[in-house]
Amino acid sequence: MRRIIVRRLAQIIPLIFAVIVMNFLLIHLAPGSLFDVMTSEQQITDPAMLDQLRHTYGVDQPTSVQLAKYIWSVMRLDLGYSYRQNAPVLDVILQQLPATMILMLASTAIALLVGVTAGVLASVKVNTIWDNLISLGAVFFFAAPSFWLGIMMTVLFAVKLGWFPVGGMRTIGVDQTTIGDALDVMNHLVLPATALGLFYAATYARVMRASMLEVFRLDFVRTARAKGLSPARVVLAHVMRNALLPIVTLLGLQLGTMLGGSVVIEAVFSWPGIGSLLFDSVMSRNFPMVLGVLVLGSLLVAVCNAVVDLLYMRLDPRIRAR
Amino acid sequence: MNGFSRRDFLVTAGATALASGVPGWAGAATTAPKRGGTLISTWGGFEPQSLFVPAGGGSSPYFTSTKVHERLIRLNVDLQFEPVLALDIKPAADFRSYTIKLRENVTWHDGAPFTADDIVFNAMEYWKPIAAGVTLDTLESAEAIDPLTVLLKFKVPVPEFFFKSVLAGKAGLVIPKHIYAGSNIITNPVNNTPIGTGPFKVKEWVRGSHVEYLRHDKYWNPELPYLDRLVIRWWRDPASRSAAFEAGQLDIGTFNPIPMPEIARLTAGGKIVAESKGYSNSAWVATVEFNQRREIFKQREVRQALMHAIDRQFISDTIFFGGAHPSIGAIHSSNTIFFTKDVQDYPFDVKKAAAMLDAAGYPVKSGSRFKLSLVSAGWFEENVKMGQYVKQAFEDLDITVELSVPDRATSLKRIYTDYDYDVAISNNAGGIEMIPQTTQYYTTDGIVKGAAFRNATGYSNPKMDELVARMATETDEPKRIALVQDFDRLASTDAPLLPMVDLEPVTIARADVRNHSTTADFMGESWAEVWLDR
Repeated sequence: MRRIIVRRLAQIIPLIFAVIVMNFLLIHLAPGSLFDVMTSEQQITDPAMLDQLRHTYGVDQPTSVQLAKYIWSVMRLDLGYSYRQNAPVLDVILQQLPATMILMLASTAIALLVGVTAGVLASVKVNTIWDNLISLGAVFFFAAPSFWLGIMMTVLFAVKLGWFPVGGMRTIGVDQTTIGDALDVMNHLVLPATALGLFYAATYARVMRASMLEVFRLDFVRTARAKGLSPARVVLAHVMRNALLPIVTLLGLQLGTMLGGSVVIEAVFSWPGIGSLLFDSVMSRNFPMVLGVLVLGSLLVAVCNAVVDLLYMRLDPRIRAR
Repeated sequence: MNGFSRRDFLVTAGATALASGVPGWAGAATTAPKRGGTLISTWGGFEPQSLFVPAGGGSSPYFTSTKVHERLIRLNVDLQFEPVLALDIKPAADFRSYTIKLRENVTWHDGAPFTADDIVFNAMEYWKPIAAGVTLDTLESAEAIDPLTVLLKFKVPVPEFFFKSVLAGKAGLVIPKHIYAGSNIITNPVNNTPIGTGPFKVKEWVRGSHVEYLRHDKYWNPELPYLDRLVIRWWRDPASRSAAFEAGQLDIGTFNPIPMPEIARLTAGGKIVAESKGYSNSAWVATVEFNQRREIFKQREVRQALMHAIDRQFISDTIFFGGAHPSIGAIHSSNTIFFTKDVQDYPFDVKKAAAMLDAAGYPVKSGSRFKLSLVSAGWFEENVKMGQYVKQAFEDLDITVELSVPDRATSLKRIYTDYDYDVAISNNAGGIEMIPQTTQYYTTDGIVKGAAFRNATGYSNPKMDELVARMATETDEPKRIALVQDFDRLASTDAPLLPMVDLEPVTIARADVRNHSTTADFMGESWAEVWLDR
């Protein structure tokens, strides 16, 4: 077990190195630079001022030197400074991190709950109307563009029924207690987390159903039934546990992408997450910010992978670290 | 001409403003303003990179910083200057120096007094080198005569309307000397929590969501601001803004906050209103630009022919859903001081365009007259559609068109740095004053490689340069207006680039939001006088 952790963590270093080099090059290959965007927005035309800014942004040096400097600073756990936001990269990311985490964890929880339940139900009632309805729902929520779903939910639940706020994370301009604040955030969270969660739930439901049907056919299930266990116990303790492995794989992959947030859902619900920050930073070629998010993201991917491996062992003791 | 040249205007307006407590729109003053309340506002764009971007930074930081940083004067909807931090600005007889009398008892948000030293610092360390660019190149010195009087000296005569436009414009924000002196103004972290003299203090900026301002209780006008709190919140999606209006969670949005086709439905009940006033000092146009580094477009007749080929009424009605109208000449029609219809116009006429191209030596040969690359700057959704339309319009003339609609950074680079286009579709927002925002698209010294939103066409005409130079130093206002109209006529005839349509942005607000859209650039005003009738 310790070997797994050590091995996974050792993978992080080359991974991050590759992420930095590749994305650095990609951003520099894209036409236009942060310097172009900033100076044109600010209408700076004085040559002396331009030179001064080139120096400030560090773009007066060759690309290879810029890259080496960046890698060196990441090694010292410094993600650099974003001149666009006039703040250290880490500060900006940390400001938006909680919102992203809350949204992604909540939507993942909804996805797991809804998806697994629907998948189990569909497999138990296979080829009945229930199965068909669940499959139809899964296809719908998977295929429906999430921005459309988001807007429709807003129109129905926020505008027509007035149950939930239209967007944002908190009611602005009201001073609240800690508990009131938590409730307020939860109230704001319902619509975006559901819109995003149903999309993921669709995948979980399909995978869970297929996986359950697979396990139902195995011998040990017949044995369990033969020894007189109740149908519920067979499904929950024997079939479901063994059918969960693919779900855990999916979950691990999804948790890894969590830091990227969801640009679309964030846009529709004006949720203050990292997705929009990343999008803006790419559009303005603000590479310290893009790289900062990606470096933290790759860290998260590596950690999630390690956790998923451990979970595998817990769920299925036959899987051993070799 | 609206009396804008009357030198004593500021004094009069100042007295009126102090007496009434409500400078600005008389039409709204039917009921007494109410104090208190929270105003939730937004605009038709995204979150700024920083709450205050000293060198400009576009509309978004301009919107957020102007609630905190004030200017010496402002321009109202009738295009008259009104006092803000300055009570009076008087030119000397030779127009080579200006004396600025400042308002008394003004304090910064941190309690420090606002004095003439602040203005000296702003003029020499902020406006001239960073904010105003070439406009204040001729500023020679700034001197505090007493704690409330500043003398600015220039190398050449400076027209009064021009100078006041700079002070009332985007580059005229007044920042505190005691905070910025000795630091790099552009990268000072305080730009994320600016400190000014304005009616609102920054309480908190939640990145990705909103910025919240609190009332500045020691504001120089004790009656203002009317609001207790102001919130600027950002939605990335116009449909969501529309939903927020409907759900009553948004009070006011400037610069086309919601999709144009939704305006009629939303305003039908009378609870929400649309207002088109308040944009004349930041008047947006969509331009078509002809790269005269290409042999074909060096011919004036070719440029004129292509202008005739574009149905600008169609663009206004179909692409902008009526939120624009065909431009006449180089000046936005909302500019009531300088606008003239007495210029060459280019009505939609395909036959004439074809005949002009034939005559210019570009007849149809094996199905095509010539090939051109059309670059439409992809920063507005409408530009995508305009690019597609203009491509079709040119193809109707048997011109082979290769269209590309790159993203913002790439568009800037292709059009303004690499000049890698034949015909470009772009935008700009000009002020009432023509120099330099509008003129730098036409003058030779406007050609600066890598500097965006200037002369990217390579057009260079000594007559044009001379006209603009005379405009810069002509201090007699009627004569100056005549010069500007000459400039407009030459620009329209030569057509190196021209506005295709004048955009007409709208502000959407709930009917109980009062006293808004009262200045020539409302988005960039302090909003001290806005109040809620609830």
